[in-house]
Amino acid sequence: MPAEIHKTMALVETQDLVKNYELGGETVRAVDGVSLSIDRGEYVAIMGASGSGKSTFMNMIGCLDIPTSGDVRIDGIATSDRDGDALAELRNQKIGFVFQQFNLLARTTALDNVAVPLIYAGLGGEERRAKAQAKLEEMGLGDRLDHSPAKLSGGQQQRVAIARALVTEPVILLADEPTGALDSKTSEDIMQIFQTLNDQGITIIVVTHEAEIANHARRRIEFRDGKVIEDIAVKKRRKVDP
Amino acid sequence: MIGNLGQKAAGWIVNVAIAMTALRTNLMRSILTTLGVMIGVFAVTLAVAVGSGAQVSVMQSINALGSNMALVFPQPDTGEGGRRSFDRGRLTMRDARAIEKQISGISDIAPQLRSNIQLVVAGRNASTNAVGATPGYGKVSNLVAESGRFITEADVRSAARVVVLGPTVARKLFGDFDPVGETIRINRAPFSVIGITESKGSSFGNDNDDIALMPISTMRQRFSGDTLAGPDDLQMLFVGFEDGVSLPQAKREMTKLLRERYRVRGKDINPFTIRTTEEFMKESAQVTGIFQIVLVAIASISLLVGGIGIMNIMLVSVTERTREIGLRMALGAKRSDIRNQFLVEAAVLCVIGGAMGLIFAIAGGTALTVYADFPVPIGVGVGVGAIIFSAFIGLLFGGYPAVRASRLSPIEALRSE
Repeated sequence: MPAEIHKTMALVETQDLVKNYELGGETVRAVDGVSLSIDRGEYVAIMGASGSGKSTFMNMIGCLDIPTSGDVRIDGIATSDRDGDALAELRNQKIGFVFQQFNLLARTTALDNVAVPLIYAGLGGEERRAKAQAKLEEMGLGDRLDHSPAKLSGGQQQRVAIARALVTEPVILLADEPTGALDSKTSEDIMQIFQTLNDQGITIIVVTHEAEIANHARRRIEFRDGKVIEDIAVKKRRKVDP
Repeated sequence: MIGNLGQKAAGWIVNVAIAMTALRTNLMRSILTTLGVMIGVFAVTLAVAVGSGAQVSVMQSINALGSNMALVFPQPDTGEGGRRSFDRGRLTMRDARAIEKQISGISDIAPQLRSNIQLVVAGRNASTNAVGATPGYGKVSNLVAESGRFITEADVRSAARVVVLGPTVARKLFGDFDPVGETIRINRAPFSVIGITESKGSSFGNDNDDIALMPISTMRQRFSGDTLAGPDDLQMLFVGFEDGVSLPQAKREMTKLLRERYRVRGKDINPFTIRTTEEFMKESAQVTGIFQIVLVAIASISLLVGGIGIMNIMLVSVTERTREIGLRMALGAKRSDIRNQFLVEAAVLCVIGGAMGLIFAIAGGTALTVYADFPVPIGVGVGVGAIIFSAFIGLLFGGYPAVRASRLSPIEALRSE
């Protein structure tokens, strides 16, 4: 079975990845021929100034954006020949997203928010609720199941979002500035959760412009002008005190 | 296979739940949009019902006339064009007898004269349309005496001064008192009232009960000498046929017979006109059919406006929730999931509006039936049709916004503010 072979391969692999934008009649090359691979179990921080191409890169490995050229392989699966629905399925099964602005559905309970990806996985109502509740309890939100986002603090909202990202048991967690809307204390809490998840074997890719956040990762990839200018192991890794 | 179906059903239930949340979020907007569909479905349902009510009422009127009969009257039939060989229409008692003798399948004939008369009794008076008739009239036009008796052969032979009154005339002259046996004056001559006919209701806005019947011979002697050229002339002949007789065939035979009697050749215009109840029914069905189409067409405009309202609000909804669409896509929603979500939302709006419109239409139809005495049947079929049709409107007008939502690029949708 190909799946057996893929296990030994990189989890995320990009080959000459390019993304161009047309802006005011000019072609802007947001990502300029990036080839790299991220293995299972890695904790990667993608850094760079705004406009460096880090977010565009991340959107492409998250299968949200289509590359102009080049290829992204997720868990050994080539994405360039997949249509929108096949990519949706791939996102649903393999990737969990955490956004800066949490992106929770307003006027919808924490439980229902976490259950949304399971709707698209085709699970029945009972199963959805059971799994969503389990994930929320893991995130320490077992007593907030029926709270709508408006009744939750920023940190709690982001934990709901992390529960939502993990509820389908994905292999990769993609986080785009996950602490950008949080104070430093809450940010530390979130980073602690990420560390725990990584210790459990989940591959984490965090896009951030904050060095402090990046230092939680084991590997740091820095973007400038659409190119990778640095790809190093983090030496003085910051550990959050439990 | 069954699991798959169950999964699909569950998917739709989720979509309905999402739709209800979204509609509750913008409650006022949802209500106003629903109102548009409600008015549209109300108008169309009522139009369909009024149209079929008209059809029912017309058919009832024609049946009241007598179900299987031909009307012959002395009016040149200009329908087909051609040379006019007579200055006026022709129809005589002798023609009537010839038809009765030579055409097969006839159950009865009813030769008639007609005149407007003035009836007076004890200072009260009424004017009505009188028919000079024979006993056959009652049989051909299904008219029986509710009290007293109808005109007999003896009355006709002796040109008796007797009259049978319609319920409306009787009420005008006598109130609730049964006038059988009373004497009234018609154009100054005394007549005895021998019977009251049963009520035939009204058709085409005419009161069928505003009528008086007397022997044809009596009317010929006393009332209609000035309007007729010959002493044998008729103003109308009803020919009743037995069940199962082909009316078009009978009409052809009668036409042939009368053309021979009047020596009408080739394409010359007949000095008489024959119409059958079958023709009346067909024409009426056509007229009421057109009436219904026009009504429904006008009503459909309001439904169209309602549908445009749906489309408008769904476009707004899609724009407002672009970010949500992007998020759902990121979490694994396929295009069809997004499309169905918005289709269901539009359909829910429309079905709620449609159900309310139907309720109001039933109320309006009942009011029309009770207060205007006009049948407005809203059957189960119309009701179910209205609901299905509203869902269809939702899918039709919600379709474009829904497809537009499903075509959004996930990343652009996510980035939108």
